[in-house]
This record gives sequence, structure tokens and C-alpha cells, in this order.
Amino acid sequence: MNRRDAIKNVALLLGGTLSAPTLMAMSRWEELTLNTEGVLFSLTEAQRKIVAEVAEMIIPKTDTVGAKDVGVPAFIEMMMKDCYAQPEHLSFMEGVTALEQAKFLDMDASKRTETLTKLETDTKEMMKARQVKQTKMGDNDDKEDMKAIPKGLPFWRLMKELTLLGYFTSEAGLKASFEYVPIPTKLEVIKLKPNQKAYAY
Amino acid sequence: MNLNIKAQKNNSFDAIVVGSGMTGGFAAKELTEKGLKVLMIERGREIKHGQDYNTATKEPWEFDHRGRVPVHSAEELWANKRFGNLANEETGGFFTNDKDNPYVEKRPFDWIRAYHTGGKSMHWGRQSYRWNKQDFEANAKEGVGVDWPIRYEDLESWYTYVEKFVGVSGQKEGLDVLPDGHFLPPMPMFPPEIHFKKMMLEKFNRPVTIGRVANLTQAQSEHVKSGRASCQYRNKCARGCPYGAYYSSLAGAIPAANATKRLTALHDSIVSEIIYDEKLQKATGVRVINQKTMKVEEYFAKIIFLNAGAMNTAALMLNSKSNRFPTGLGNDSDQVGRNIMDHHLGAGATATVEGFLDDYVFGQRPNALYIPRFRNWGNDKQSYLRGFGYQGGASRAGWNRGVNNDGFGASFKEDLTKPGNWTIGFGGFGEVLPNPNNRMYLDPSKKDKWGIPMIVFDAAFGDNEIAMRKDMMNSAMEMLDAAGFKNIAGNNRQDVHLGLGIHEMGTARMGRDPKTSVLNAYNQVHACKNVFVTDGAAMASSSCVNPSITYMALTARAADFAVKALKKKDL
Repeated sequence: MNRRDAIKNVALLLGGTLSAPTLMAMSRWEELTLNTEGVLFSLTEAQRKIVAEVAEMIIPKTDTVGAKDVGVPAFIEMMMKDCYAQPEHLSFMEGVTALEQAKFLDMDASKRTETLTKLETDTKEMMKARQVKQTKMGDNDDKEDMKAIPKGLPFWRLMKELTLLGYFTSEAGLKASFEYVPIPTKLEVIKLKPNQKAYAY
Repeated sequence: MNLNIKAQKNNSFDAIVVGSGMTGGFAAKELTEKGLKVLMIERGREIKHGQDYNTATKEPWEFDHRGRVPVHSAEELWANKRFGNLANEETGGFFTNDKDNPYVEKRPFDWIRAYHTGGKSMHWGRQSYRWNKQDFEANAKEGVGVDWPIRYEDLESWYTYVEKFVGVSGQKEGLDVLPDGHFLPPMPMFPPEIHFKKMMLEKFNRPVTIGRVANLTQAQSEHVKSGRASCQYRNKCARGCPYGAYYSSLAGAIPAANATKRLTALHDSIVSEIIYDEKLQKATGVRVINQKTMKVEEYFAKIIFLNAGAMNTAALMLNSKSNRFPTGLGNDSDQVGRNIMDHHLGAGATATVEGFLDDYVFGQRPNALYIPRFRNWGNDKQSYLRGFGYQGGASRAGWNRGVNNDGFGASFKEDLTKPGNWTIGFGGFGEVLPNPNNRMYLDPSKKDKWGIPMIVFDAAFGDNEIAMRKDMMNSAMEMLDAAGFKNIAGNNRQDVHLGLGIHEMGTARMGRDPKTSVLNAYNQVHACKNVFVTDGAAMASSSCVNPSITYMALTARAADFAVKALKKKDL
């Protein structure tokens, strides 16, 4: 079974059919994967723009910096390349292609919000099958357990996870959001003041 | 011949210690402090306390993948990845590349290794609990495995000795099930945990205590003298502690051994064989392969301590064949490599806590709560044998709660800058019974790149562990419910195998009878008295408490015995 058949089988497993643009994107993706060893993931400029806009909608610029200010879009692309394998590459491409197809960039703000809200609702349904659970493995080691299913994590979940990670661990995002205490020197139970920010360590 | 004599002279020591981890470091410290010239041999690379903790003081944004594991390193750390995100970008340097050091799994075994100075003491959980009296008696009472040749009383003073040096913080509770030790001040419990403790006492009469942990809450003068400082509550222990606030072989024992000027340390040196002299009827040294140059060299000593970690210690014994020991040094009983034990984990429960919203914590606690074993203790009687302890605790959710929460946008962003609700969770550490069919042996044909036979694992949990795991999940759910917590979710991971507790032990057990055990009451190989095994391999049962402090106590006791015996010319 070649890669394209494998991908189609995955789609069939999920009870769905893939749209023509998705198949085109996949075929492009397939060429890329066949040509370059180790790098399985690549976005077009238009797709990059969609990723950036979605990230900015998750963590917008307010009185503090937003996702775009701290380089989250490039971070997401790098993380997808380096830390995820074929299933997530496929599901991410599916998601971004669907937004491209729906002309996300041409939508006004309220239509964009509506689209992402719908995406979040759909993603919640998809995530149910995974029965996400936290397991305590040691004193400070939690492991997120998920039931294995033959499909990558949904696009929206990847976008949200990587946007939050990229933003809240960036220097500007972290310092704008939290009280940064790299060396606490003591451990104390305290009372929270109104509106107090969380500590980051 | 002349060359050989010269090599013998230059390469001769009073004692050789194989391994530099939790017990190897401690053996080196004890033996050098008692006047012996010691060669400590580490198979992995050298790391130096402080200066080689490359990630210790890095800021979060200085990690390219923000602590995640890139796919290519996940391939190199395939066994490590079974635990979770343990060998990540922050700490991965202290875990062994599994791809370069493969092993054979006849049945799945999660073997997590640390080939470098300090071994697994560089990332242990630091939980330090004494065994109780019954732990030493249970085998004999229940007819399981073999009887321990020692009792709690034999080890008691050595526990105190080790605790003083290591520095263990904890709360005295006066419990038989969890004997008190020599403690530094305890770390605080958080308000929801104090509520939980109260409820457990009221509803189940089960004590809950703060973890007893080898982090210096208040460095004593002997710690300060050796360059160790009090804990800074960063909870970044596993990156290496530049303050030496948590105990590791690197921060504690090895500097102490170095201070005697009687320690020689060899790195990148894999001990392939123990050399046995048929005429003298004792071991005379070890054969070593340099892992980089492949050069083979021999070293000689009056006594040899094996502290390579239970699996590698047993493999070394099995690979040391002679006319006297055709199936491996000290293996008359055929027990070397058998009775693999560990602690099984990954079963427990989590919940959300309502209220306590004005309570918060400054600093990060490198520790958790401990719920001592309550099963098959006192009047409790279960269908399975032995029991488990729980570790866990409460914390306020961080920004990552946003991943699974609904929403996006400005108010979502703002909300994540505040502490989230409290959550609480506990996971069990269960005792594993010794079973001779749970074993490792040397592959008859497959060899590693140094030409040493690969280890084959053929071991699995038995009915007793599987029954206990169900209770570990159910009891945790029941206790969280009794404390009034909500959204209780039990877990009992099915993908956990022996090894994942990283408390592997039992492969050269102590016992009273040379026919059924490998070591005597002083950790001497029954039939080769100048070889001592004082790492996890020596264990005849596993208790359910974390083992390192017991390994160190056994090591200190055996070293004391060995030096006295040497002086009496018994060895």
C-alpha cells in the first residue's frame, strides 16, 4: 500500500470522503514527502497567512502582545515539522485546507469567529473518541493519556495547543501574562490578591 | 609477561566499584572514607556537578521546542518515551539513547537508563522512605520468594546514617507502616491537601503525610561544607540542580569520595567481565572496554562492588563465565537475572476541587503528598498480597488548561493569565512480587556494538499486580469522592510494563540459602566472597516504597562489613 492509499484509507476509516482541494493538497504534500527526507510538512504562503490569522484570533493583541507579535505562526510551523509525524501532518493540512476552501481570509471578523466557534464544537466531538485523561506518573509528572485512534489530532486542537505553548512560553508573552519568578528561593502558601496574575517559573 | 605485571601494578586498587549512580557513588564514598584506594568505573560519559547541567538555568523561551520532544529524538529515546514526557528537551541529556543501546523484549520491558556520571540519581524522584519491619518479614510469612537474611533492625542505624548525609525532609508521624527517619523540616501542604488529610483520617483512618524527599529544605553545616545549598523551589530538579539542593551521587557522594583523594574515576568504560581466579577462588579484577576507542584493559582489586543498576549488574555476572562458574559468576542457584521486580504505577485518579480560590502558592514544590500503604495492613485483608502507597497532591491549573477549555480571543487570553481552579490527583506505587519466571538473560547471538551480548527481557506483571492495580484506581476514586472532590476520573494505564517504575530490582537476590539466592546477609556473592552487589539487584522483595534510600543503606552497611573483613584479612 502506498502513502496515498494509506491516506485515503484513513479518510474512509473516519467515515468521510475528502474534498477535491484536500486531495490536491495531499497530493502536493505527497510529492514533498517523497522528495525530502525527514521533512513531511510544508505550507503555502496563503496557508501560512491562515495559520497566522487563526493564532491571532486565539491569542489576539490587546493591551498586551498577541500571537503574531511573539512569532507564534512560525513557531507552529516549526513545531509541526519537528515534533509531529504523518498523522498530525495530515490532519493539520486537512484543517488548513478546509479553511482555505471556505475562503477564511476573505471573511469579515464576525464570520471568522463563527467559523472558528463551529470548528471548536466539531473538534470537541472528535476529541471525545480519544477519552483524554491525565495520569499521575510520579511526583510532578503528569501524562496525558489518549485512546489511540488511527487519525492525527484535529487541526483546531493542534492550533490551540501550539498557539498557547508558543505564546505563553515566549519571552514577551510570558512576561506580559504572568509574574515571572525563575528563582523563587522559598515555598509559601499565600492568599491570592484580587486580579493577581499567576506566577510563572 | 613484563608488560602484564606492569599493567597489574598500575591498574591495581584496593576496591573497584562498577557504576557511579545512586549506589556506586555511595560505595565509592564509603570505601574511600574508610581508607581504601578505589577505582570507580562508569560506562557513560563524564558529567561534572554544576558545570555540565546545560539546561539548568535556561529560560523557558530558550528551548527551541519549549520542552517538547522532536520526532528524531523520540526515536532515539524510544524506551524513555513510554513513560511520557520525561526525557524531554529540558532533561533528555540525562537519559540514555535507546537506539544506540538496544535490548531484546521477549515480553515488553520498559528499561529507562542513565549512562553518565551519577546515573539515575540525576533524575530520581527523590522520595525517601524507610522500609517497615513487615517488609522484611513478609516473604517468610507468606511463603513468597526467599526470606530476607536481614531485618529492619539490621538496617535501622544505616538508614539514619544515609539520611543525615543525603538530607531528607519530612514529617515525623510515628507510624509502624512508614518508620520515621532523621528529617530536615517538612515542606508545606497546600490548603486543599490539608482538607484531604483531615477527611482521610476522619473517614478511613488513613494517614496522609507530606512526601519525604531528598531536597535540602534547610541545608545543615555538613551539607554546606560540601557545597550544597538549600532548595530554591524552582522544581527543575531533573535538569540537574546547580545548588546541589537535591541529593544526587554527583552532588553528594562523589565529591565526598573525591575529597579523600583516594578515588580514581574512569568514564566511557564498560565493564564486560569480572575476572575470576580459579586458584585463588576469588575475583581479581575486571575487564573493561572503552566505549569510544574499543580498547580493552584490565583492572585489579581486592574487592569488587557491583553497582551498575540491577539489570546491568546481573548481565555482567552472567557474562563472567569461568570453569568454576560456567553459567555466570555467582550463579550456582540459577537465580541471577531472575525475580525481576519494580513498582507498578500509572493507576490512580484525578479530580477537580471546588473552592479554595483565594489560596495560592509562591514557589514550586518539588514534592507531593504521600499516603502510606493501608492495604493488607492491620485489620485490612484483600484478595491480593501486599499493598501500595500513593503519591500526588493538589495544584492550581496553569495556562495549559486552555488547550482543553472552550473559547478563544481576548477574554480567553486574559483568563489564562490567572491561576486556574485547583485540581488534585494521586497515583499508586504498588509492590511487585518476586517470580523466578520474570527474568532477563543474555541473548545467545545478538551483541551490542561493543561485542557484549544483548539483554533479553522476559517478564510481566502477574495476577497479584493486576488485581492490585484495579484497587489502586478504585481506592483513589473512593478517597477523592470521600473528600468531596468532583469530576473524579480513574485511570489504570494498560500500557505499563515492568521497568516503567524505574525501580528495577531483584536480579541477584539476598537470601539465607546459597541454593536459592545469590547474596548473603552482607551482600557478598555466596560463592565468591570478595564480590559485593549492593544495587537494586540485591533485593529479595520490593516493598511499595521508593527504593533508593534502602539501596544506599545496604551499600553503606556492606562497605562497612567489607572494610572490616579486609582488615581482618578475611577477604
